[in-house]
Amino acid sequence: MIEDDIYRASSQYRLWSYTESSLQSLRATTNTVASERVRAALRRSREQQSATSSAAGTPQPGSDMDGKNKDEKEIECLTPEEELVLVRYYCEKTLELGETYRPPMPTMARATAIQYLRRFYITNSPMTYHPKSIMACALFVATKTENYYMSLRQFADGIPGETSPEDVIAPEFLLMQGLRFTFDIRHPFRGLEGGVMELQAIADGQGQPAPHLPHETAEDLQQGLLSIAPPPTPSKSMSDRIAVAHGKTRDLLKTAAQMTDAYFLYTPSQIWLSAFLVADRPLAEFLLDVKLGGPVTATIPTPETDENGLLNPLYEIRSKLHRVLTECSALLQSYTPLSSDPVQMKNLKRIAKKLYHCQNPEKVNLKRESAQAPVSQPDSGAVTSESESERLAKKRKLEQEQMARQGNDVFGPDLVQRTKP
Amino acid sequence: MAANAVSRRDEDEVCPVCKSSRYLNPDMRFLINPECYHKMCESCVDRIFSSGPANCPVAGCRKTLRKNRFRTQTFEDINVEREVDIRRRVMQILNRREEEFDTKRNYDDFLEQREEIIANLVSRIDVSKTEAQLQKYASENMASIRANQTLEQEEATSFQARINLEQEQARIRRQAARQEYEIERREVQAGREDFLTRLASGTSTDAAAIAREGHKVLLKKSSARRSEEDRIRQKQAALRSEPTRVAGVSSGADTGLVKGLRKIKTPEPEKPYDPFMGYVPEKRDYYSLQESYPSQFLDNYRNNISVLAGGYDLREYYSRTLLEAFAGLSCFVDEEVSQRDAARVSAPVATEGAAIAAGQSGEGSA
Repeated sequence: MIEDDIYRASSQYRLWSYTESSLQSLRATTNTVASERVRAALRRSREQQSATSSAAGTPQPGSDMDGKNKDEKEIECLTPEEELVLVRYYCEKTLELGETYRPPMPTMARATAIQYLRRFYITNSPMTYHPKSIMACALFVATKTENYYMSLRQFADGIPGETSPEDVIAPEFLLMQGLRFTFDIRHPFRGLEGGVMELQAIADGQGQPAPHLPHETAEDLQQGLLSIAPPPTPSKSMSDRIAVAHGKTRDLLKTAAQMTDAYFLYTPSQIWLSAFLVADRPLAEFLLDVKLGGPVTATIPTPETDENGLLNPLYEIRSKLHRVLTECSALLQSYTPLSSDPVQMKNLKRIAKKLYHCQNPEKVNLKRESAQAPVSQPDSGAVTSESESERLAKKRKLEQEQMARQGNDVFGPDLVQRTKP
Repeated sequence: MAANAVSRRDEDEVCPVCKSSRYLNPDMRFLINPECYHKMCESCVDRIFSSGPANCPVAGCRKTLRKNRFRTQTFEDINVEREVDIRRRVMQILNRREEEFDTKRNYDDFLEQREEIIANLVSRIDVSKTEAQLQKYASENMASIRANQTLEQEEATSFQARINLEQEQARIRRQAARQEYEIERREVQAGREDFLTRLASGTSTDAAAIAREGHKVLLKKSSARRSEEDRIRQKQAALRSEPTRVAGVSSGADTGLVKGLRKIKTPEPEKPYDPFMGYVPEKRDYYSLQESYPSQFLDNYRNNISVLAGGYDLREYYSRTLLEAFAGLSCFVDEEVSQRDAARVSAPVATEGAAIAAGQSGEGSA
């Protein structure tokens, strides 16, 4: 299928598609690496503190050692699951943040920001970079990539609390690095519009058959659409029903699809179709039948074979798709907003408290770090570099003199050094 | 001695037609006609065939002969003479070249077939059938026979030309060598004379210096000349090794008689350049794009002058949304990604790459 090949060329497919297990192992690796670093950093900072305190106060070696050991035991890092919950919370926060602007930010920009956050925290841990600072930056980058222009000052003013423009853009390069400089996010929203457009056309009797099933006419399709099972909630006409399903699907895509790992595990068209399945199952099944032919039931497989005795490729795709869409809709349905669930909120508070203790102290001030980033020369080399430059200048001068001397000689210098008599 | 032997045997040779012998007529020459290879003397040919074609005068031979076909005999044995004639004729018709065949084996088969035909004709087996075959082949492959003949001629002439050239070059080389030798000899002589005169006129003290100088000059001259010679020789070698190949003309489809000829490959007409390499820009597998879709929301834009003024076309929107609706529908990420990762074990896998990126950029800057 050509469309699939077009999708395979995207960076979302090439770099940001994972299997469930690889995603899990990647997060686990990130977590262990970050935990080790956090522990090391905390130890360093304590040593520094104790060094300054011991220099100032009375040295008590025995008790100091005890205290250090106790501190080390105290450092308890987040688990990958806790990190995930935290990231999800900030994804929800991103949605809310987008809502606070007047006019509210477009769904696309917010969804892109959420995906940036999710992608960033695959290879980075909230213990290293707090999601709060990354979140605003992700949203700001998303306004740029989604072509929704907003000045940095205007953006920073819209954020509740005291946030300066410098705070917003401080982690920008870091974020881009974490995104591997791939800013293209394929959302399922536009695809949903396309699918609804097709359904509306069929409902109006203007539908065209899929290229692989050319025998169907517009009337057949219309009749087929009218004869499908009734929706869960009755509606006046077919286009009303489609519009209702459209709205439901859209809501699902805005929230559930963003807050779960759907983008990493499925393609955009699969995501919107599974959301559509959740919203109005008969309608979605009808659309699939029109596109790929033949109703498929999971319990009674009906293997159609063509004249070569091979399984019809369309049928194969259809049955595989059935499984994938079922999985994906289960994933979407499993989502419940954190803020609506008191148990989850309690858990979240616990995680936030825990994070406060295991935050990497060396990464707190991102502003300073980003300001330092372009400086490549370390400070320690300042003294030596001065003498070095002096030496280089001397060398250059010497060379120039030599050049000037040789310039008078038409045929250049001697190939072998002349030995003076 | 050999000529003597022949003439002695010819002494008692008798014309089978007029029975006159060489003894009586020493100038007698015998002629043959390739029609029947009966030998007769020149005067008989003049006598019998001057007034047009006539039957062979030898008893039992009823072949009609013409005077212009009579010629002197090349080989003593009349059978050899006949075979050579036949061979020449068949070779002229079946003049396929090796490069016209697919394989060496096919060419060998052809050579064998040709020998068989010649043998048949010589030993008079299936003569009429073989002749018919040959005639048919000749009429069918007139063009290729003609082409091969001209090729052969060209080859022969070019070969001759090359031989001539080589001979000429050898002659020039010889001449140059002789000249060179002459010049050198003269120079040596002149040098010696000069040396002697200087010795005679100079004082005894610088005799040794003069002698050394004279020797050096001579050496320098000869070395300069030698390098010059080398240069000329190289040039000639380059000239000689210039390729004088004649490109063969491929010809001939498979004919009835000759098997295994190489097919003439007419180059395929060049197809129009396809920048997309077979990809049809508007072709889609999941949907066919329509001119318009019913949508209240979009209808407002279709005729909105402020939208259209900028050159916006609603069809762009249609094609994009529909493409995104189905792009990747049958990309099954869980299968394909695991396959892809398995295929790229040596190269950094996507997940591993991400881990490395995490180690270097995210977590690594600690």
